[in-house]
Amino acid sequence: MNEQSKQVLLKLVDIVKEFPDRSGHGAVRAVDDVSLDIYDGEFLTLLGPSGCGKTTTLRLIAGFEIPNLGKILLEERDITQQPPNKRDMALVFQNYALFPHMSVYDNVAYGLQSQKMPRAQVKDKVTTSLSIIGLAGLEGRRPNQLSGGQQQRVALARSLVMEPRILLFDEPLSNLDAKLRVQMRSEIHRLQRSLGITSIYVTHDQVEAMALSDRIVVMNKGKIEQIGTPEEIYRYPKTRFVADFIGRANFLPATVSSTQNGSASLTVMGKQIDTRAPFEIEVGTVVTVMLRPEALTLRVDASLPQGVIEQAMYLGTEIEYMVRLDDIVITIVDNDPRKQHMFAEGETIGIDFIPEAVHLLPD
Amino acid sequence: MNSRLRLALLLLSLLVAVVAAPALAQDTTLTVLCTPQEDWCVAMTEAFEAETGIDTNYVRLSSGEALARLRASSSDPEFSVWWGGPADAFIAASEEGGLIEQYESPEAANIPDQYKDPDSYWTGVYVGALGFCSNVDVLEELGVEAPTSWDDLLAPELQGFVAMAHPATSGTAFTAFWTVVTLQADALEAEAAGTGYDEDGNPTEEAVDAAFEYFTALNNNILQYTRSGSAPGTLAGQGEIAVAIIFSHDCTKLQQEGFDGILTTTFPEEGTGYEIGGMAIILGGPEPEAARMWYDWALTAETQEIGPTVNSLQLPTNPDAAVSELAVNLSDINVVDYNFAAAGANRVAITERFDAEVASAPTE
Amino acid sequence: MQGIRNSQQAKQFRALLKDPLLLVVLLFLIFFVVVAILLPIFSIVGESFSEEGLPLFRRYVTDPVYQNIVLNTLVMGTLVGAVGTGIGFLFAFVQVKLDVPFKRFMHFVALVPVISPPFALATSAIVLFGRSGSISRGIFGVRYDIYGLNGLVFVMALSFFTITYLNLRGMMEALDPALDEAAINLGASRWRIFRTVTIPMLLPGIASSFLLLFVEAIADLGNPLVLGGNYEVLATRIYVTIIGLYNPTGAAVLSIILLIPSLLVFVVQRYWISRISVVSVTGKPAGTPQTIKNPYVKWGLFAVVMFICLLVVLLYGAILHGAFVTVPGVRWDFTLDHFDFVLNGIGSQAMRDTTVLSGIATPIAAVIGILIAYIVVRKQFLGRDLLDFGAMLGIAVPGTIIGIGYILAFNTPIMIGDVTIIPKLTGGQAIFGGALAIVLVYITRSVPAALRSGVASLSQIDPAIEEASISLGADTVRTFRKITLPLIRPALFAGLVYAFARSMTTISAIIFLTTPQTKIMTQQILNEVENGRYGNAFAYCVILVAIVLVAIGVFYALVGTKTGAERRTKGE
Repeated sequence: MNEQSKQVLLKLVDIVKEFPDRSGHGAVRAVDDVSLDIYDGEFLTLLGPSGCGKTTTLRLIAGFEIPNLGKILLEERDITQQPPNKRDMALVFQNYALFPHMSVYDNVAYGLQSQKMPRAQVKDKVTTSLSIIGLAGLEGRRPNQLSGGQQQRVALARSLVMEPRILLFDEPLSNLDAKLRVQMRSEIHRLQRSLGITSIYVTHDQVEAMALSDRIVVMNKGKIEQIGTPEEIYRYPKTRFVADFIGRANFLPATVSSTQNGSASLTVMGKQIDTRAPFEIEVGTVVTVMLRPEALTLRVDASLPQGVIEQAMYLGTEIEYMVRLDDIVITIVDNDPRKQHMFAEGETIGIDFIPEAVHLLPD
Repeated sequence: MNSRLRLALLLLSLLVAVVAAPALAQDTTLTVLCTPQEDWCVAMTEAFEAETGIDTNYVRLSSGEALARLRASSSDPEFSVWWGGPADAFIAASEEGGLIEQYESPEAANIPDQYKDPDSYWTGVYVGALGFCSNVDVLEELGVEAPTSWDDLLAPELQGFVAMAHPATSGTAFTAFWTVVTLQADALEAEAAGTGYDEDGNPTEEAVDAAFEYFTALNNNILQYTRSGSAPGTLAGQGEIAVAIIFSHDCTKLQQEGFDGILTTTFPEEGTGYEIGGMAIILGGPEPEAARMWYDWALTAETQEIGPTVNSLQLPTNPDAAVSELAVNLSDINVVDYNFAAAGANRVAITERFDAEVASAPTE
Repeated sequence: MQGIRNSQQAKQFRALLKDPLLLVVLLFLIFFVVVAILLPIFSIVGESFSEEGLPLFRRYVTDPVYQNIVLNTLVMGTLVGAVGTGIGFLFAFVQVKLDVPFKRFMHFVALVPVISPPFALATSAIVLFGRSGSISRGIFGVRYDIYGLNGLVFVMALSFFTITYLNLRGMMEALDPALDEAAINLGASRWRIFRTVTIPMLLPGIASSFLLLFVEAIADLGNPLVLGGNYEVLATRIYVTIIGLYNPTGAAVLSIILLIPSLLVFVVQRYWISRISVVSVTGKPAGTPQTIKNPYVKWGLFAVVMFICLLVVLLYGAILHGAFVTVPGVRWDFTLDHFDFVLNGIGSQAMRDTTVLSGIATPIAAVIGILIAYIVVRKQFLGRDLLDFGAMLGIAVPGTIIGIGYILAFNTPIMIGDVTIIPKLTGGQAIFGGALAIVLVYITRSVPAALRSGVASLSQIDPAIEEASISLGADTVRTFRKITLPLIRPALFAGLVYAFARSMTTISAIIFLTTPQTKIMTQQILNEVENGRYGNAFAYCVILVAIVLVAIGVFYALVGTKTGAERRTKGE
């Protein structure tokens, strides 16, 4: 993905948003100095644990909140103070927020009618949009006569029909059951790719984020921890928080033996490896590296560091081990379908890893 | 935006309209403060309206309430003329000043002097005597005779079976109170000259205190102090109480209207009080012309014959008016020498004292 | 931090300025609350703490007569609170926890007092159970002395228990049956569950019902006037002080004495009980409520409630019957004179005036209530809570006090310099013959109910639904009209019905404000009752109830249509 070829559509500049705290005297900073560029046509996900400020950021973009400090620019126009109904964006809500007293048709037509669009044109657009989303024939139903998945489709159609500049999603799949969620996920993926609408998506589900996004913004405590493609985020987390939040991670101590422009030699579990070092580290110090569980393997080999298996769980697609090595517990996942053997709890066994998977973290 | 602005303007103009709405000017109307019973008020206003074409409105208030209401609105009176109710209240109003004004009606010449104010603040429109209105069935049940003296009312059998109105609101009740004051003054005077009445012929403080003593004793037998003077009569009619202290004509009225054979009227032998129903022009009232027309009209013999048509059997003050045969003639009963001027002068002090000392005192 | 917070308030304010409609509405609402509610109350406070007022305080507080009146008031409030809550609890319990016939009938009976005029029950109680009552004397041969505390408690408890019933029923229905099941599972007996689970869970509801009734009772003027006998309470004392003695200062001082317990209860209710409440009414109960099976308990309770229903039916039956006989209780000949009196005679003006004024006040009250609810629930601004509190004072403050406050505040025009800000509102010479003051009082007294039902209804609507509308390009007005309003229709309907019924039946605040030009039915009823013309009074009551019922029908036709919202709440 070549970033230079892309145009910045939406720009957040030094956004700060505070809410009064419970006592009413102090303030809680929900969004803390966030700057972000969103490119035209991309699918961007705001990812983070609850309370990290991702929903607030989305609501600031939508216009439901006004930042205390900072600016929001849409195509270089300042829209910070613009009311939400004037912004060319449509928000898909977590609980769908369908109008309970209107039929499916009226729900989808609502926004177009607000624009005073001629009746025939409204009908046309609504019908098209409903058939795209696979709800043709259900126009006359009320929201409470629909299943959860259907309701979410109506909500999606209602936003899509507006042909907004930016489509906003606020955890739209979190109320669906697991199977339906996967199905809707690929539906959203298909629609977004085919229509090419710039989308900003909020979720706390990393799998969803990875599956859908061009880029992911990982947030924590109101700040951006890292922005990058799903792969960058997974393979090269910039902080321990990101490493831990996306997938599972083992954090291991390593000793720096040498450094040279952007890379370093480290000793990890007795093995000498080379890795990228995008920041300054000193020779001789102990640093932290991250190893994903699937990058580690267990092998009967006395030359390897020996760990004791504390727990072994058979999960079908993989076997998950918790192995104690000295004073740390390492999670190791074995997902090689060729292996039939499962080590037993209490067994002492050698631990090996793929050197290329070692990723150096700042302290 | 446009529709919003329009709505905003609409709301704003509504606000302005509410705030700036001008007072409605009224002509060719008359507002009467009416103290006698409701149906008489209706009959009077309808007759006046028929005769003059003036749109006539009334509010019925007992005399104490009427006085309070006049005071409340004295800066900007709501009423133009006050018709009916014991003259004591009218005297109190003229003494207080600023409430009613003098008017020398050409028709007042026909009214005997004893029934009108020498200073022309008020003129009497009817006369009636105070009496006891008793339910014969209840009396029989309680084993007492119909009371024929004030002391009969204190009988222990009657505990909770006597009712009168509150002197603060009702002229009737005040008449009763002043009657007892007069009787006590007479009694004191009989014992020692000068103890019952002072040099000016007004009852002394002792006489008033003695009356308070009497009513404090009576309080034990009182079920309820009603607001309106005639209300106890109905209570008696319905058998809620045995004896009501009301004007005899109110009792007669009830007998005419369904309580015949149930209610009986008796009078205290030692003497009973009576009322002169007064009438006055309200000072600064909104419809002075119409008020005078009413005043003159109300004194005519013809008008004074309206009462009996609605069973209000007070005696007319106009000697030319026909007297109903059901009316109680003052000459047939023992009437005290009721000093209206003194009664009116003492009205405020007495009602407040009554309210504080008697009416709100707990009963045993 | 501080700087940012200030700028946040500034931003909220600027956002408000940017929405001129919202700003105008907000200013209008604030103007209403300040002028119609706060100003009269402050006038009373001002008057009573004036130089003439303060010595009166001393006199009233030390005088045993007045101490006795205060004591009477508190005793009456407590008893009415206890008995009324008991009856309400019984009705609710039978409705929710028993499987017995006639439940709809019981429900209906419990609702009737809402639309019944004041002292209708009191009068009817005199006719049936008084010293010459058709039942007490006619059947049992007893001269029962109904005047005084016992009669007051009897009548007030029956008049006011509806609110307790509805409160407690709502809570009982919201009680999660799983709690009962858990308790049974742990081996508790029915009685033990009732004692250790049901009652404690309902305690906040019981307490708040008790307090509501307490306030309602001590604020009531009509019943003590009719039935009080020599049992004097603060409300009647205030009344005599104004009506009989015209002593506004004394009345103001007594009002403050009455105001203290009322406000105390209001504050406790608002800030304490709501906090300790453990039943979440919005919570979705799972499982089916367990009904009581023990036949003695079941049929015993059933009998008690049916007996109370019978009493209520008898009392109202007596009103209906009494309207058609010459002298109720004495002469039982059939007559239509009383109706003639009300419909064609002097009663007709009162009937017309009251209906028209209530009709004017009702939509305004409902709209103001709903608007305040909307702003309080949905908008962020400084003093939001104050607006809500101020509006609620309209009902938390006893009607007598509102009435006297109006006399004190509006008997003369309020001027700033030479400009009349608010003209003279009370008395015959006031604008519209004093009708404006009456309409204002009607609105003041009715707004709180509309406000509460609006708040309840709005807080059940996910704000996301409104945001969705805005996100789809609709502005605030369109969102309110197309989305919010249809969804809170049931609340609007309830607000309208309540406002109209309340306006038609209110007495205590109005009694000081009627003028020669405006006659009010409740005041006329009181006159008729006081003068013992029960037939006329009953005819008035019958017609008043008929008017209210017709109005409910009209409101239903106007706003009570079957919307999706209703279907949704019914869960169809």
